[in-house]
This record gives sequence, structure tokens and C-alpha cells, in this order.
Amino acid sequence: MAAGRFTLAVSPHLHQKGQTIERGMTDVLIALTPAGIVAMIVFGMNAFYVMLVSVLTACLTEVVMRWVLGRKHTLRDLSAVLTGVLFAFLLPATTPLWVVAVGAFLAVGVAKELFGGLGRNIFNPALFARVALMVSPLWLYITKFPRPFFYRTVGFFTPVSVAINNEVAGRVVYRGLFGSVYPDVVTAATPLSLLKSGKMLATTISGPTPVGSTWVTVAGRPTFWAQFLGVHSGSLGEVSVLALAIGACWLLYRRTIDWRIPAGIFGAFLLVTLVTWNYPVFSLLGGGLWLGAFFMATDWVTSPMTRRGKWIYGVGIGLTIALIRLWSPLPEGVAIAILQWNVLTLLIDRYVAEPRFGEVGRSWLNRLPPYPKPGKAEPDKPVPAN
Amino acid sequence: MSGRGYRTFRGGVHPPTHKELSSSKAVTQAPVPAEVVIPLNQHIGAPNVPLVSPGDRVDVGQKIGETEAFVSAPVHSSVAGTVRAVEDVRNFTGAIVRAVVITADAEQPAFAAARMKPVGELTADEIRRLAREGGLVGMGGAAFPTHVKLTPPRDKPVDTVLLNACECEPFLTCDHRLMLERPAHIVEGLKLLVRAVGAERGIIGIEANKMDAVDGLRAAVSSEPGLDVAVLDVKYPEGSEKQLISVVTGRKVPPGMLPGEVGCLVQNVGTSVALYEMASIGKPLYERVVTVTGPGLRSPGNFLAKIGTRISMLIEAAGGWAGEPARLIMGGPMTGWAQEEPVASVVKGTSGVLVLTPELVDARDEHACVRCGKCVEACPMFLMPNYIAEAAIREDWAKAEMYGALDCFECGCCSYTCPAYIPHVSYARKAKAQLAALKKR
Ligand code: SF4
Ligand code: SF4
Repeated sequence: MAAGRFTLAVSPHLHQKGQTIERGMTDVLIALTPAGIVAMIVFGMNAFYVMLVSVLTACLTEVVMRWVLGRKHTLRDLSAVLTGVLFAFLLPATTPLWVVAVGAFLAVGVAKELFGGLGRNIFNPALFARVALMVSPLWLYITKFPRPFFYRTVGFFTPVSVAINNEVAGRVVYRGLFGSVYPDVVTAATPLSLLKSGKMLATTISGPTPVGSTWVTVAGRPTFWAQFLGVHSGSLGEVSVLALAIGACWLLYRRTIDWRIPAGIFGAFLLVTLVTWNYPVFSLLGGGLWLGAFFMATDWVTSPMTRRGKWIYGVGIGLTIALIRLWSPLPEGVAIAILQWNVLTLLIDRYVAEPRFGEVGRSWLNRLPPYPKPGKAEPDKPVPAN
Repeated sequence: MSGRGYRTFRGGVHPPTHKELSSSKAVTQAPVPAEVVIPLNQHIGAPNVPLVSPGDRVDVGQKIGETEAFVSAPVHSSVAGTVRAVEDVRNFTGAIVRAVVITADAEQPAFAAARMKPVGELTADEIRRLAREGGLVGMGGAAFPTHVKLTPPRDKPVDTVLLNACECEPFLTCDHRLMLERPAHIVEGLKLLVRAVGAERGIIGIEANKMDAVDGLRAAVSSEPGLDVAVLDVKYPEGSEKQLISVVTGRKVPPGMLPGEVGCLVQNVGTSVALYEMASIGKPLYERVVTVTGPGLRSPGNFLAKIGTRISMLIEAAGGWAGEPARLIMGGPMTGWAQEEPVASVVKGTSGVLVLTPELVDARDEHACVRCGKCVEACPMFLMPNYIAEAAIREDWAKAEMYGALDCFECGCCSYTCPAYIPHVSYARKAKAQLAALKKR
């Protein structure tokens, strides 16, 4: 039959308005905006440059990689932009920009495109890049966190060798491209590292307090309000719990993410922290937890799809974070916990059975039906014209 | 949004209903076509054999196709005229089927009401026989012979008859109009259904966006013991058999089972009216209300159309094309069948003819699944549509079954909500066909 007047298509013939990949990505970007603004207030232009370089590198990497791999280019779906922003959010504002570029390349080029592109990646690209840098010789660059309101700009090509500090004094010396020296990049311990290093109860740590007012720090550690609003040191995106919470509300309202995953994470984490009385309020206000629970663990591609799966995954991440904080010296609890459960996601989706409509007492394990795999033996039946 | 907050089921989607296009248009008689094309098989079950041959005279309501098999429904002529041919045609699904082509007389006599036994005195057996004689099938689209449903196995008695008045498909208003214009007939039909299976109660399940119809139906059932109206959330697919049963009665039909398993019977309001017509005046199912609508038509409306009417005629009746018609659909937008040309004819299961314009046809290339889980969340059967699709692409039919292909009833919620625009339904259909073939071996 010659092509008719109208196109044929399989039902349904309607599609949910605004339910597209780019809309989902846009929603996450919108949700990250408050945290981005706080980052720029607290860390100044450094924060902006880090984000800019991260996003540009991520996009460039995607274009080049897809071109090399002979794939259709997909910049339009905004996933590279999102990865860029998320990765920037995991870095200190004083990260030399070339290190940012290397990380953004790892995120998009390796963690996403080499695994097959959006949808086939196993790891959350931003977290993957962050942890990859941590285990690389570049780790020093991304573990020195500037004090809030330190606005001096750091150069693009700060060489590795001079980024060594004298840690006792809590200072890092950065040097710009032409030898300009910024001796006074004062770093500060992040709340979490305080907790880790057992300094929570120490009376002072060295270095001047950033603003000097007592609502920001008390006895050398950030107060509740400083943590809530974001006036303390840490990576770009994680400082302000308030900003992240606003973004989280947007994602939940738009149903971009499923509430079960953050609920599982917070629930399990809180439970362990309460039982062990490991600074519950202080830990809960760690921005890393919020950024991880609402923006990283809920990544569509790398989290499970069924309700049961989401609960297992969420609770699993919450427990893992709590355990890492309790018993291991690793500072990157959230990142490592999420990456670990990213891997388990595939197993969860494959094996954890969701009970069907009307099914009672379905076992928790999916089982293949008993008959042999037909493979391609069965000839394709002519399906009716539609 | 109105119509939310009532009882509902888990899963499903909320497409805009667009019902305002035709919901206020009273049902009018569509013009009688010069020629009708009546497929011999408009039901699920055994094929009919033609009872007429070319050159024969036929009358309105005369039986023209039948078979001995139990699971089948006869077809009747919708016009008075002369049989021109019995030939193969392409039906609305694109399949080749045998059909009786009848040239209609210029003068069409009105249907002569037969003298029948008073409706209130009919026994269960008589009601079943009437349902069969009238060629009744489910008019919501599935077209399963009604008398078969009215014959529950002895060990599985039916205690509840549900009348599906949800009309949860967007755009369609034919059932809504029936409820507004003929609530008494619907309730009479429901009483016959209840009596035929010996049920205790009959409940009309209706979505909360048709409150005007609710009032009429409530008034009609108020004096009938055992009958009731249940108002439900506006959500698609509220009117699917298993979902409707679970919402109204709380019972869940297990996978692979029929509603009888939990003592329920579901019929569509159109079928109810048709049963009443057959029982009261002996009028078989040879015409039905069809909603002809969509932004691609000049004046959408609801038409009483003869079975066998070509849809091009209905499009004319609705004022012809408007704007930029982009897709022509028989049925509703969620489960209907796209047509290349307006040539197929109306059958008993045709609830609508829909013409969409480009703004509504949001077709895109399929992206790789981004594993967002939205299809899983939307699936009213709690399946994993994306994994079914993936298994079907790899032709791994065992896996397709593991993820629930056989429970899929092709509602389309998954594709509707998928940001990657994956056509799950076509994959699930393929998997189901292959699995059926496998099971047979
Ligand atoms: S898998 Fe089948 S039953 Fe589930 S939403 Fe998709 S079409 Fe509907
Ligand atoms: S809705 Fe589409 S993209 Fe999301 S999991 Fe299902 S198939 Fe994949």
C-alpha cells in the first residue's frame, strides 16, 4: 500500500506534556540554582569559574567523544551541562581550573560516554570523577577548602608542585601562571573533617575566623546557623543545607525524583546516628548528605526503578554512609556509598521482584520462566500494520 | 484539577481529557451511508460464516453472519438493502477480514419493534440467549461476546456486576452522552445483567469529571435495591477491568485470571443499553454511538452510526477536516489504532474517531532508556515496561515474561510518560504474540 495520508503509529498517541529528558535535566538544574547562588556568595568568583570551566569542559567532551565514537550528538538533552554543574558542586572553590577540566573530562568522557552514553552508564558521572581524582595524584587540589568569603582568584594553570601547604598552619600556597603567589589562601577544616579528626571537642583550630561573629563559629566549629545557611568551608554545592532543601522541594514537586530514595537514605542514616549518638544534628546538617541524597543518589540512570528496589537502595546508601562515618577514616562517605550502590543497582533491578497487580506472596527474587530460551529461532510474526 | 481526590488505584497517568470538545453535543443520527461494509468478525472468538450471498435482499437488523461456536457473536445488517459482495477488506487494525458489503436502499424503514416478553419477567437463560441473539459484545473496545461473560462457571459465582462508566480515555464522550440521555435504559440493562448472573449488587463506576451524569444515574438507581453508583478519581486507566474491580470492591484479580475469579463481572454502559434494547424491543446491535472528535475536525460531536459506516462519512458529519490533521485514530488516543486513510468501517467496538493535530502528536525518535523508572511507576499492573521492551529487542522472550509481558494489557501509560519516547506497547505486543506461540508448542 502506498503511504497514506496520515502516519501510522502504535498507541498511545498522546505523550505527557513536558515529560522529556531535557525537561528532567532542566528541573535538576533549576533545583541546583539556589545552591549555586550561595556558592557564589560564599566563595566569590572562584566558584563561578569552577562551574563555568566544568560545564564547558563537560559539553566539549561530550561533543568530541560522540563525534569520535560516531554517535549522534546529544548536547540538547542537557545531561552534559548537568554533569558539569554537579561535578563543580563537589569541588572546593579554589580548585585550579585545569584540575576541574580534567575531572569534567573524566565524568563525561569516561564515566558516561565510554560506558555507552546517557542511559547506559553504571556510575554517577560526577561522583565517579570526584572519586577518580581523589585516588589520583591530584587529590591534594580537591581536599583543601577555602574559608568562606575568601575571594582571591586562583589561576588556571597553578602547577602541582607548589600546591603543597604547610598544613599545620592551615595554609595553602597557590601560585598563578606567571609566578604570582597567593600565600594567603587560607583553608579551613570542613565540618565533616572536624568530626573525623576528633576535633569536634577541641577548643580552637588555628587560623583567623572568617567573619568573626559568634553565630558563624563557636569554639572553632560552625554553628547550626552557619551550617544551615552555608557560611562555612566545604565544596561548592554542599555548604548550604537551606539552598539544597529548596532545590529538593522543587524536584519532589515536579516528580523528577522519587521520594523513596532520599527517605531511605535519611531514615537509615538518622537511625544509626541516633543509636550510636554520633553528633546526630551536626551530621544531619552536613550538606554533602543533602547533595548526595537528593541530587546524586536519585540520578535516573544509576538508581533502581521499582519501589522495592528504591527502598533497598536508599536504605543501603544511608547505612553505608553512617558506617563509613563511624568506623572508617575515609572522608568521602557519601560519594563512595552512592557509587557502591550504583553498581548494586543493576543487580537490584535484575533480581529483586516487584509483586505484580493482584499477586500475593511473590518471592523477592525474580526467576526466569522454565522453558528454554528460544533466541532467534521463532520467525517474526507479521504484526498487523500498526 | 477537578475530579481528583476520589478513590483510585496505584499507577496510571493523568492525560488532559479534552472532553469539552464533544461532551455537550447531544447524540445525533449519522446519515445512512449508500453502502455499508460489515466485517463478519467484530468480536473475540470463533469466526462467523456469512448467511447471505451477493444479490440477496436484507432488512435492518437481519442476521447476516453466525457460527455454532459458543464464544462468538452474530452480526446483523445495519441497513435495508442488497448484498453487493462478500469480500476481504482491511479493518481498522490493518488486518484482512471478511466482510459483507451491502448497498443501502434510498428509503430506510424505521426499525420495527418486536413484541417481547416483559423485561421484568426474563429468566437468566433468556437474558443470555437475548444477549447472544442480539450480537452483543463489550462496547468499550475489547469486544468480548457478552453472553459468554454472562455464563460464569458454576464453581465461581458472580456476586457483583460492575458497570464501567469511567470512559477514562481522553476525548471520548459517547458513554457520557448515553448516561446523560438514557440513564433509565442503562439502569434497566444493569438490572438484566445482575439477574443474568444472579449477582447481589450492581455498581456503576464513574469518573468524577462527569458529575452531571452521576446525578441522573443516582436518581435512576435510588429506588433499586442492590444498585449503586461509585464516583472515582479521574485517572487513566480507571475503566480497565482489573483496576475498576479493585477500586470499587477492593478485590484484586490475580495475574492471568478473569474477573470471575473474584466474583465480579464488568460490562460497559453501551453494552448495558444495547442489552436493554434487545430485551425490550428486540433490536440487535447494529448501530452504536461514536464520538467523532479532535482538534482536526470542524464540529466534533457524538453520532449514532450504523455498524459498517465508513469513517470518512463520520468525518463529514463532524464538519470535515479543520486545521492541519496529522493523525487519524479509531478508538481513543491511548489505545486506539492509527489509520492511514479514512476507509475503515465502524464496528461494534468502535467508540471514537479522533483526528489529532501536530501540537498533540508529540512523536520523537526513541532515545536509549534513561532508567528513570517513570514507566514502572505508571504501570497499573506493576510491571517493568522498559525491561519488557529491552527483552523484546533482544528477542529474549523468557525474560520478557519474567518482567511481566503477559500481564500487560497495552494501556499505554508507560509510553505516555516515558521521557525517552520508547514505544513499549509495540514491544509488549510482540512479546505477547511470541510467548503465545511458544506456549502452544
Ligand atoms: S506495560 Fe502494559 S500494562 Fe504496563 S503501563 Fe505499559 S502498556 Fe500498560
Ligand atoms: S520511562 Fe522510559 S526512560 Fe524511563 S525507565 Fe521507562 S523506558 Fe526507561
